[in-house]
Amino acid sequence: MSERTRTWLFLTAIATLGVVLVLTVSVQPQTESRVSHIGSRIKCPVCQGESIADSPSQMAQDMMSLIEERVAQGATDAEIETEILAAYSGAVLLDPPMSGRTLALWLAPAAVAILGLAVIVRWRRQTPESGVTTDVGRPSSRRRLIGGVVLTVAMVTIVVIAATALQDREGPAAGVANPEAQDLENVSNETLEAVIAANDDHPDINGWRLALAERYYEAGDYRSAFPHYLAVADSGVASAAEAITSLVRLGWMAYDGNEESETALTLFDRALEIDPSSQVALYLKGTVLWCGDRDADAARDMFADLLDDPELPDESRVQIEEDLADLDAGEECT
Amino acid sequence: MRGQALKWTAWGLVGATVALAVVLASRFGGDPGLVDSPLLGKPAPEFEMEYLDGGGTLALGDLEGEIVILNFFASWCPECRKEHDDFVATADAFAAEGVTVVQATYQEDPEASSRYLDQEGRSDAIHYVHDAGSRTAIAYGVFGIPETFFIDESGTVVGKIIGESDALTLGAAIDAIRRGESPGQEVTGNTQQAPD
Repeated sequence: MSERTRTWLFLTAIATLGVVLVLTVSVQPQTESRVSHIGSRIKCPVCQGESIADSPSQMAQDMMSLIEERVAQGATDAEIETEILAAYSGAVLLDPPMSGRTLALWLAPAAVAILGLAVIVRWRRQTPESGVTTDVGRPSSRRRLIGGVVLTVAMVTIVVIAATALQDREGPAAGVANPEAQDLENVSNETLEAVIAANDDHPDINGWRLALAERYYEAGDYRSAFPHYLAVADSGVASAAEAITSLVRLGWMAYDGNEESETALTLFDRALEIDPSSQVALYLKGTVLWCGDRDADAARDMFADLLDDPELPDESRVQIEEDLADLDAGEECT
Repeated sequence: MRGQALKWTAWGLVGATVALAVVLASRFGGDPGLVDSPLLGKPAPEFEMEYLDGGGTLALGDLEGEIVILNFFASWCPECRKEHDDFVATADAFAAEGVTVVQATYQEDPEASSRYLDQEGRSDAIHYVHDAGSRTAIAYGVFGIPETFFIDESGTVVGKIIGESDALTLGAAIDAIRRGESPGQEVTGNTQQAPD
């Protein structure tokens, strides 16, 4: 038998095998019920590589029940599959559809097989009948290089595609991390309220409370700000800065909102117990002493002491100088 | 010489095929539930589910014009227990803002779900319903729980969270919808299947 005859016999055998395989896959047994047939084509979404017809899971049974109901209602196989795919996508089809992006999955094996056969046929034609290896048959370094490059490019391409396909999804939710590390610009007050309510006993929740309370305070919504400042001040785990901020805000809201000078002064004193040099506590205490007609002289002394502080910000210094001038002139607090 | 070049090309093809097989094989171990939901950007599937404690049924059509958060949960799901307080807090915080939270039981006897809610606490702002026969879960393409879907005022599915949610994640998604944006799909962790 000649080499050419053997090659054609080989190709014919491969082609026959392919036809048999295609027929085996495409022709469905006539005795199979429609429900089982549809179920056998749909992958159980809670299993690994098992059809809903074969899986004992509750989800698979519920899906089979749905298919049974649709069949009884007169739906076609295509309509039932379409309904399920609309929710789950083609990911639940055991055999990917021969269309769109998955068409390549069907064509790739055939293409590779044809290409491989073509390479083998040409290779055999090029090989000397005698089988004697000569120098002529050895690949040149240039051809070795080309072959290596082809192999490398193929490998790199596949690795890149695999890395893209397998890359990690987004990480876990933010949780109750430090609010200063979060971008809260687009976060609503309702969301902050929910975060605080859901993490009421979390040790880091004071930062969130203060962030929300400051929003309410700046908007003049003392009623909404009050419980958050109070919770921080009474938490027992607040930092010195958090406690002072809460106490002076509570004090000022008591004075500004309800004209409760005594309560305000008590809260400012609590803040000064934590940090006797707190500029904001001293200034607000002096302001209430003056504006609340409590003790203008004491207020004057406090303002003077603050002006002696070299670390007083320029903006605050200007304000206090204006207040002190008004005090000295005997003008009313405005 | 030409034959040897073909030989090298053939080896290249063999190597590429083996590598491709390895990649495809590695995908079999992945979580099948991580595919992007085809419902995103589409009208939300209609549903009608019975309230857990009786009192009739709830249909999606009853919530027309509202932002709807549809969460699937069960007492046997550890992540669902972790996110319970966050759903209560979110529902309460947004109750007056046109946001409705619906929590549907997933593959669990409704009495067991009710007992669980009795232990963990409920929110008056949440609709607790029973998904009989997993019909709503199937319609929404649920792979496991917890899974949460976001439906905007026009009835379009605009977001999905796979895994445990927290109040900040839920609130941020609602805030985005209120700004007219679509939060899209986010994977925050694993999902659970019903125990055998």
